[in-house]
Amino acid sequence: MISQFWGLYLREILRTFRNPFVLLVTVVQPFMWLAFFGSSFANAPPAVIQAFAEGNSYLAFLLPGTLSTSMLSVGMFGSMSTIQDKRFGFMKRILITPTSKGVIFLSKALGSASRGLVQFPIMVVAATVFGVSFHLTAVEWLAWVGGLFCLAIGFSSLFLAVTASSTDWQTPGVVSNFITMPLMFASTALFGGQYFPSWMKAISSVNPITFSALLGRSFVLGTAVPWVNFGYLAAFAAAMLGVGWFVSARWLKVE
Amino acid sequence: MSAPSYAIEVRQLSKRYGSVSKGVLALDHVTLAIPKGTVFGLLGPNGAGKTTLIKVLTGISDITSGDASVAGFDVRTQSASVRARIGWVAAEVILDDDFTARENLWLQAKLQGLTNWEPRADLLLNYFSLADRANDKVSKFSTGMRKKLEIALALLHQPEVIFMDEPTIGLDVSTRRMLWDIVTGVHREFAVTVLLTTHYIEEADALCDRVAIIDQGRVIAEGTPSELKARVKGDTISLETSREIDAPRVAALAGVQEVRPQGNEWMIRVTSAEATLPLILSCVPTETVRRVSVEKPSLETVFLDLTGRRIGQDEPMRDIRKFYAQMRQARR
Repeated sequence: MISQFWGLYLREILRTFRNPFVLLVTVVQPFMWLAFFGSSFANAPPAVIQAFAEGNSYLAFLLPGTLSTSMLSVGMFGSMSTIQDKRFGFMKRILITPTSKGVIFLSKALGSASRGLVQFPIMVVAATVFGVSFHLTAVEWLAWVGGLFCLAIGFSSLFLAVTASSTDWQTPGVVSNFITMPLMFASTALFGGQYFPSWMKAISSVNPITFSALLGRSFVLGTAVPWVNFGYLAAFAAAMLGVGWFVSARWLKVE
Repeated sequence: MSAPSYAIEVRQLSKRYGSVSKGVLALDHVTLAIPKGTVFGLLGPNGAGKTTLIKVLTGISDITSGDASVAGFDVRTQSASVRARIGWVAAEVILDDDFTARENLWLQAKLQGLTNWEPRADLLLNYFSLADRANDKVSKFSTGMRKKLEIALALLHQPEVIFMDEPTIGLDVSTRRMLWDIVTGVHREFAVTVLLTTHYIEEADALCDRVAIIDQGRVIAEGTPSELKARVKGDTISLETSREIDAPRVAALAGVQEVRPQGNEWMIRVTSAEATLPLILSCVPTETVRRVSVEKPSLETVFLDLTGRRIGQDEPMRDIRKFYAQMRQARR
């Protein structure tokens, strides 16, 4: 089982680094968010920034949120990679070996989550270029990355579970549109939640993106660290892994 | 416990896609026993159930009813043990194009849980004359090289049985001949049982120790190519005319066993074409004869004899579509 997992996991990673376009999209997409969306408040009065961003820099506020929301697209890419394997027959090649469907799922979920973390150092460097300064301890850096990794695993697992029986290229996009929009805006990734209507506050209060954004933001802004958020994200990852494993083992279809 | 003498045993196996009322019965109570060490061919037209049988035996599709075992293990209950003992060569070449030949072998070794895989990989790369291209991306390989590598992947873990699903479909004549030599060589050198599907008559005849003819999900005949051809008594004359022939008169000729219309042609079964053809032509106005052909007993005539159709008849477009779909995948 470990042999099969390692082979498939490394395949996911190697394929990413050998496909410049995928790598480019993975890196550029969150960078664009930071550059365009982050700059949209560049000339806003300080009072507005204070109200929205709990500090003097909207970019510093936005960076953890952008990294968190980008983990949603990581899930979509993992799901597309699985559908590609089904459509080109590679999934059959895998399944006509002693490799279980659960291991295939696990390698895809962890592979796409790992791929998502490629964005992290690039975004941090980009934010530094845009003027954000970082004063984190090693533990805080690890906790921030760990929280994002949990979020990425959770969303990758969710996408893989929802698209387990599909061989249609369009499915991940449709699922992404259905999931991404409400989860992104019903979170505190882009704005503070103090002005949300009550129903959005309710969604935001259980939305893992909110938990990840708040965790990362506490490290960047130097405020009190909500360590419970890390536990919430770990629980989210574990639960989604369980669901994804179960669904894939039962319903992962090759054609 | 003695080792099983059959590499594959299939008993009353049925496979249905969809519901009982609206679904398709792809396999209908198939029973087969494939001896160890043989090259066994499943011959039949497209849609006959050949690929479905491979899917079921390799664990890709579930069994609807009946039993099957491969390498002594039950396909339904011991699927992992079966999959550890089989290799698979797809109709369309399936490799990871982002990887080199050696990396594809590495991945296959990981999927099979092999540790000391490299000596075997080197042996296979040498055997298939791929050693000097081992570190090249397979996207740069020719179709023949890709096929060779795919067979090398199937052999890496020393399987007892290899499934080859239409291994030469869409290949040019020279590559197809090369594949035939490879299949024969692999069977001899690596002591493996080969189950291959094909709808090429000459392929089944040239490669297979035994052949099962499959049509509409049922095995309609099984034996060595010689045994099957011996079932057809005599030669077949195909006669295409512009007007209907006097069938009763032709049937009454000495040496004529059967006369039946088929499409635009008349199929006339005779004891000896050499002796009877002049007699037949004397009964038919010369100006109405468009084409005459003679077939000696072959697996094609066996199929014709059993089903009243030729392999591939009624399905030319399907075959072409399948071929082009597979080529598109191979070239991605």
